[in-house]
Amino acid sequence: MKAGMASYYKKLKADLEASAGAGIITPEQAAAVYERVMAGRTFASFRAAHWIGAAAGLFVALGIILIVASNWDQIDAATKMFAFLLLFAGVGEAAIRLDDKPAAAVPLEMVWFFMPILGIGLYAQIFNLSGDPVKPYLVWAALATPAALLSRRPFGAYICSILLFFTLYTGTVSHNSIMSLAASRAADAQPLWHWALALAVLVGGVAVYPGKKLSLPLGASAIWLFVMLLADTAIKVRSSALILLSGMSLAVLWLTWGSEPEDDKAGLALKTWLGAVYVMTFFWHYKGDAYVNRSASDTAAGGAIAWLLFAGALLSVVFRPQRLLPAGDKDDMPAKILLTASMLCSFFLFDANEATAKALAIVANLILAAFGTVSIMSGARDSNEKQINLGVAVLTLTAVTRFIDIFGTMLKSGMAFIVTGLAFGALAYFVNKGRKALIESVKK
Amino acid sequence: MNWKGNSLYLRLALGAQVLFFAAWGGWLIVSRNTDSPEFYLATEPVDPRDLFSGTYVALNYEISSPRGGRCPRRTRDLGRLFVKLEDKGKKAVTKTGEVPVYEAADCHANPPQEPGWAKAEMIYRFGGPVAMYGIERFYLNENDPRKDARSGSVLAKVKIDRNRNLVLLDLVEKL
Repeated sequence: MKAGMASYYKKLKADLEASAGAGIITPEQAAAVYERVMAGRTFASFRAAHWIGAAAGLFVALGIILIVASNWDQIDAATKMFAFLLLFAGVGEAAIRLDDKPAAAVPLEMVWFFMPILGIGLYAQIFNLSGDPVKPYLVWAALATPAALLSRRPFGAYICSILLFFTLYTGTVSHNSIMSLAASRAADAQPLWHWALALAVLVGGVAVYPGKKLSLPLGASAIWLFVMLLADTAIKVRSSALILLSGMSLAVLWLTWGSEPEDDKAGLALKTWLGAVYVMTFFWHYKGDAYVNRSASDTAAGGAIAWLLFAGALLSVVFRPQRLLPAGDKDDMPAKILLTASMLCSFFLFDANEATAKALAIVANLILAAFGTVSIMSGARDSNEKQINLGVAVLTLTAVTRFIDIFGTMLKSGMAFIVTGLAFGALAYFVNKGRKALIESVKK
Repeated sequence: MNWKGNSLYLRLALGAQVLFFAAWGGWLIVSRNTDSPEFYLATEPVDPRDLFSGTYVALNYEISSPRGGRCPRRTRDLGRLFVKLEDKGKKAVTKTGEVPVYEAADCHANPPQEPGWAKAEMIYRFGGPVAMYGIERFYLNENDPRKDARSGSVLAKVKIDRNRNLVLLDLVEKL
């Protein structure tokens, strides 16, 4: 996707220069338009020098951590602590004083960001501290967040957000931390305040994230919630239907809320939704709930959350602009039908048997086929080559998987490939015919 | 007033960070500065490495599964617990001569105000409840031969601080 965006900016620059050369716009206007478009990129303010500076700071910080970790046992504890405090204050003060000189400030800020964990590591070494593995990361995040938020540059805030999500994932899945939500045994319930702490860390991770587009933190939150539903927590769900319902609802919610309507791409959220539907096609081989953990049943809270997610996703599909296809309003209805169908698929699994699971797999295949076809038609209509390619890729992947997966024998698979190839050829013919008709209508 | 890049606020944040570490370091020093007796515990070490603090010997103790007196037998009794540690006659030989090895004698959630009671956190690990005392890691130089200490070959020299936490002072090789 980044390569795609890079080629877009390259093409835009060439077009603007050509327009300026042809006298349609002035060179100043061309430059101004290009600057404005470039300023909208996520990392627009990160010049190459900033990246190099950030890498320099990261390497220096890691180097200091390793040197400290080698444990200079010939230096006494008080000297080590005093030297650390001096270094900490010095690095922070230097970063503040050199704030307007990015070449120095960026690496210094990076080192400053790592100073708290360096101190925690040093103190643990000096005093032989051990215990909860999550606490050091929480303390690090709590200490580093204010300075990261106050910084003029977003580096610290990005790492802080990543740190908080890392802590959330590792802490909640572990059994013996102050944030653990997964029980170490089936009968154990983790205290309620663990949930409060986990949710605070989650909110912190989203709030600290400096990007304008919230797709990534929203996706990380959605995946975390799904993991919590799957793990042995107070909100666990164990029936295939509720697992699928919550998973698909979360995928739809991420896709619907993860990007603004004016964004031209849904990116990772779209790929996740496509991946989830693709996974559903394998229910063809479903033999019942035998391989689902039957040691426990759905919790009431987990069931309620699954239904709430479904209701929220359904309302979002109805009232939010669709993000499945880039054409927006023009493809509103097919996109909304596909999104809704992907969630409703899970209803096949209530009181599941082999027949309903096969029906689910067929519908999932149809959803992918429909998405591929609509993508090709939409891309052809709007001259969006990438959308056409995506549609072809989805259709091809679905077809190839099914032929190998279901037919098995080479003869049957070979026949199926030929039929699909002919279908693709027919589709290409009609798409081209439609495009020509569109061009003719414009000429007239 | 724009708070982004404001040097006053940034200095306040830096001051709070440095103050935190100064206070924490001070508290650690003061809480350990007691004249409580130092004693030895039998250990079962392994040798992993910590990303931020370097090489350490991970230690399990015989007192990690406290038995005797009112110590819990059921696996569901997790959480805060105090363990009475005392010399019950077990001995080990080190370079400095024969030393007593302390053992768990009793457990209680609210122990009497007398010396010898150490704070522990009962957690569920490796298929059973384990008492964690906060002395499960001994950090050492990466070239220190004790990092390869085998199970039962070293003793942990410890004492109990003002807050009834066990403090790990040294790892002593048995002869």
